[in-house]
Amino acid sequence: MSRISPVTGHYVTLEVDGLEYKVFYLENGTGQPLVCQHTAGCHNHQWRGLLEDEEITSQYRVIAYDLPRHGKSDPPENTEWWKEEYKLTADHYANFIVALCDALELENPLFMGSSFGGTIALQLALRHPDRFAGVLAVEGADYSPGFYLDWWQHPQANAAQVCASGVWDLMAPQSPESDRWKTWFYYSQGSEAFKGDLHFYSVDHDLRGRLGEIDGDRCPVVMLTGEYDYLTTPEDSARTAGQIKNGRFITMPEIGHFPMSENHERFRVHLLEALDILQGAKASSE
Amino acid sequence: MTVSTRAPSRQAWAEAFADASDSDAEIQAHGKYFNCSYLIDATEHTFVVRVESGKVTEVAVDPGPLDVPYQFAIRASAETWREFGKPVPAPMYHGIWAASFQRDMRLEGDLLVLMQNLRCITRQIELLRVIGSPV
Repeated sequence: MSRISPVTGHYVTLEVDGLEYKVFYLENGTGQPLVCQHTAGCHNHQWRGLLEDEEITSQYRVIAYDLPRHGKSDPPENTEWWKEEYKLTADHYANFIVALCDALELENPLFMGSSFGGTIALQLALRHPDRFAGVLAVEGADYSPGFYLDWWQHPQANAAQVCASGVWDLMAPQSPESDRWKTWFYYSQGSEAFKGDLHFYSVDHDLRGRLGEIDGDRCPVVMLTGEYDYLTTPEDSARTAGQIKNGRFITMPEIGHFPMSENHERFRVHLLEALDILQGAKASSE
Repeated sequence: MTVSTRAPSRQAWAEAFADASDSDAEIQAHGKYFNCSYLIDATEHTFVVRVESGKVTEVAVDPGPLDVPYQFAIRASAETWREFGKPVPAPMYHGIWAASFQRDMRLEGDLLVLMQNLRCITRQIELLRVIGSPV
């Protein structure tokens, strides 16, 4: 029996805000597109369990991309990016995701992201409610300060280990050790992007007082947060969902800040529930 | 070696901590340059841990005010450390970052040294889940 995975990888070139990117993405499955964003300083292998989850890929076309500067997606092709400090903004991040969906000619996609992917999910629901059929904000909140730290790139400390061990506590002790170590390993690869990503996460992203502007009828929002997440706690996400029209929130016991990567088997139970909620919400608003 | 000033039961904890660290596969595999000294302040008792080339060379138990120097300190209430000492800690007691962001733990002193040794320190603190709380 062949052990070749059905997951395939592709590159797509696109332009956004005057920057040209050659973007790498993994995909598997057929059906409504489910576009997946990894966490800050990481890459699309965090979605390895989901990409091979037959129950979900039989209903959804799962697409997990590497944000530029992460994994196999290079920094911009047409700028001297090494002469500037990387500081991701909400504007550019949201524009990029829409440009990617356009480049892939996706119709009616769902968006799911975790951590800084969960916060951009909220931004997408606010900015582009007609481009997405719904969003799943995993480990997200209206505001997430405190992680834009110089330690991630301190020249006198081992940045790879500081980033990887610095996020270790974000995972639940119940998550399988091998999956936690894979997540650690991914984080040892992304220190150059991590801090710049967190500029969006902890500085530029701030939807306090604006959640009421999200139209949960046009773009339903479901939020999911693990109880071991010390950055975005379940209380933070519940507060956020409570201020979004028709916003729903699911607490995930015995999970931390990287649900899909630290414990897909446990996460998928909550994900299936969240997908059902999104489908029901969209059906009732049509 | 360990240094005792009082509290013999704490002495047993200090020895268990040193033994657990020195026999831990991860620390011994990755601790070639693990060098630092730090204070564990558990309110009811204090400990200064000294590590050289991945081996615990000293755990001072309740040292006097000027007895044993250290580079950084991890401080928390006894209740917080007791939660760290459970086999499966409750949320927010499962690491020094979590407890510092969400509970009463404080990281003080030369934090660069902490960051330089973060991988092995993280593992050392997790050993409390096996050997128990220092208080």
